[in-house]
Amino acid sequence: MKRLWRCHVCNDVHWGNAPPEVCPTCGATNSFVPSDLGEALEIIGRDHPALDDREGVLAAWQWFSDQSPTVRLTAKADEMELLCKGVLENLRTKGQRYCPCRLPTGDREKDEGLICPCNFLRQPTFKETGECWCGLFVRRGTQ
Amino acid sequence: MSGNRLIWFHGRECPHCRKLAPLVDQFEAETGIRLERLEVWHNDENAKLMRSLAAVIAPACGGDLGVPAFYNEATGKAICGGRIDMPKLLAWAKG
Ligand code: SF4
Ligand SMILES: [Zn+2]
Repeated sequence: MKRLWRCHVCNDVHWGNAPPEVCPTCGATNSFVPSDLGEALEIIGRDHPALDDREGVLAAWQWFSDQSPTVRLTAKADEMELLCKGVLENLRTKGQRYCPCRLPTGDREKDEGLICPCNFLRQPTFKETGECWCGLFVRRGTQ
Repeated sequence: MSGNRLIWFHGRECPHCRKLAPLVDQFEAETGIRLERLEVWHNDENAKLMRSLAAVIAPACGGDLGVPAFYNEATGKAICGGRIDMPKLLAWAKG
């Protein structure tokens, strides 16, 4: 079961089944202790900037693309803008940055898999065509 | 609720749907068959209808309720995805 963890050295916060052995922020070993939402929010700060505008969403996608050895953002800027609009529209109306080309079901656990970027590497579409369902991310070396 | 409609479920912010629109126009012009275009992101009724057909549509879309999705009420068959072309559309419409 996933839960929150806190590095007792630098207050790095981690959500997962188990904490990292080496803290990715301060490098301390075996430094994580079980935490909770209140503590984590206190550390993070309730004024932590929201990813709720075009610049924020595009920057997140770009970051994901830049560090990935397997996929990158589409070169079609107009499609990227359209998808960004869709994701922000979903944030406004459905409460989360859901995929603009797949409909949330209302089942929270299922819909977690629709937050963009999703785990599209396992989609049949990606395996066949080298593109995520919406064509936002493509396999490197294609197009 | 099953009638004889040929339904196209689409999304306003979906690039595949946007690209497919001229093909659907052409399909209608050439065959004289009309598709019912139902937008599912900005219309809850349409989204509800699409969700009620999840058992057929989701498998056609690789597991999720994706757009563009085409549902034939008479045959109960669905096709889905950005790679739909005229032959596929014809085969789906004619059952
Ligand atoms: S299919 Fe593409 S656009 Fe849709 S959520 Fe996944 S990564 Fe984002
Ligand atoms: Zn640390």
